[in-house]
Amino acid sequence: MKITANHLTHYYGDECVLNDVTLSLESGKFVAIIGESGSGKTTLLSILSTLLNPTSGEVFFDDKTVAQWGNIDEFRRKKIGFVFQFHYLISYLTLRENIALGAMEPSAIEPLMEALGIEKLSRRYSDEVSGGQRQRAAIARALVNAPGVVFADEPTGNLDTKNAIMVYELFKRFATEGTGFVVASHDKKIAEYADIIIEMEDGKIVKISRK
Amino acid sequence: MIIALKALRKNRFKTALIFMSMTVSISMIFLISAISGGVVSMYSSMLKTDGDIIVTQKGIADTFFSDINRSMSDVVATFTGVKESSALILGASPVDKLPIVAIYGVSDNRYDSYTLSSGVYPRSGEVILGSKIYESLKSPKSIVVSKKTFAVSGVFKSRIGFEDGGVVMGLDDAGELFHKSASIFLISLDDLGQSSAVVAKINALDGDIEAKTTDSFIDSYNQFKIIKTSSDVIGAMAFLMGILGIVSMMSMVVNERKSEFGIMRSLGLSSWSIIGKLVVETLVVALLAFAVALGVSLGVLEIIEHVDKFQGYINGEISFALVLNVFIVSLLMAVVGTLLPALYASRIDPMTLIVRGGA
Repeated sequence: MKITANHLTHYYGDECVLNDVTLSLESGKFVAIIGESGSGKTTLLSILSTLLNPTSGEVFFDDKTVAQWGNIDEFRRKKIGFVFQFHYLISYLTLRENIALGAMEPSAIEPLMEALGIEKLSRRYSDEVSGGQRQRAAIARALVNAPGVVFADEPTGNLDTKNAIMVYELFKRFATEGTGFVVASHDKKIAEYADIIIEMEDGKIVKISRK
Repeated sequence: MIIALKALRKNRFKTALIFMSMTVSISMIFLISAISGGVVSMYSSMLKTDGDIIVTQKGIADTFFSDINRSMSDVVATFTGVKESSALILGASPVDKLPIVAIYGVSDNRYDSYTLSSGVYPRSGEVILGSKIYESLKSPKSIVVSKKTFAVSGVFKSRIGFEDGGVVMGLDDAGELFHKSASIFLISLDDLGQSSAVVAKINALDGDIEAKTTDSFIDSYNQFKIIKTSSDVIGAMAFLMGILGIVSMMSMVVNERKSEFGIMRSLGLSSWSIIGKLVVETLVVALLAFAVALGVSLGVLEIIEHVDKFQGYINGEISFALVLNVFIVSLLMAVVGTLLPALYASRIDPMTLIVRGGA
């Protein structure tokens, strides 16, 4: 899914956290938004992912605004996925039930779990598996409806290096299969895996690198 | 449903509190409705026994205060269409160790409505006792009613608690005790179709008396209205207490599960779907609470019925209609109580997950 952002500006009170950002992201790419704390990367990700309305500016998905796509719940369910820093798996549900929570097509769950290497953990609860396995289940939950793009906020923030690399490799793999990933991270290692790297500083994009 | 059960199990402490709050409220509604309904039903049944028409003193608020001339019962008995007219005195007095007991003074022609299990019908200076009070007083040979001693000539069994826990004596003896001629006449008819004509004829007989069909008397009887209104008010309070209990507990549950609902919103689950999930959870608790409350209420009523202190006067009835009504009320309580916290849950912004994640 192609994402276009036009002149995005956002204020928290009097503080300008995003300053006139314009960008265009082609579909099926692994995009990394990097920068120091307070650079505006999370705000940009939140606005791009429909979770936050900008003070001014507009976001287009395949040249249409969210309002033009119709109901926002339907849009989120069908077109985008989310992965957060914490897995936010529901503790009283098994990994499979967590993935099935928003699934439109239950038959997609098993192949996806297999692709992510967690097929043997389907009946386990989140407190019975490792941190890496939890995050893989959270990624499966985001991918289950085959969205056009997955937004991830610091998805490796709670993982060790080995698991962080595993997550990046998964993103890269699914991106080559056509799902776009937009990931906000302060981990510089992500640059080795991403197709597009957006560097931010003081609410502005200072550099965009494409591989 | 499985997800709802898992969520309830996960939050078992708060689930238990919601369950207890609902069980107490539903039991209160059951008990107050059953007991008040039982009182009304017992008194109505008593009046309806061989009574198509009831005659009282005009404008009197309670049959206990009514005083009418018993000789008019004989006049009424001669009216066309009247099968039988009997006079009764309704009173209450201490009997032996019991502080208050229902006393019935009845004309001779009414004795056959009491089925004796032992002994004979009373003559002057004698009484027959309901089986409940007979047991309660340990099978006495005589009893003292308002400082006057009466021999016990027999025992009767009645399904009406007020009668089974009461004392029946002749009209003359009761008249002396309560200083009145008669409280009411109960008139049975050959043909119910004649009731309006007979009522009109009795009312024309004397300006101080008032005749009504028993059904219309029961509908307009002030005491029943007071009992029913009180029961409705207490029932409504129990309903509101139940709702408040659910609202406060569910609000805490929603607050604790904020990230869960945030994730659901980010996955594109609609507000109605989230509200539905929470309502199903509470409905499951409501069904369980309803079943337990029904059991508890039946148990409490059974115990009350056998407590000597109540002399069988408190005799609750849980009819199918009451069960159905309370079932609907229980579901309504669950839905109304969950709605506000569920609305809040359905509006949780998934952005909170990012803020909490804090990049």
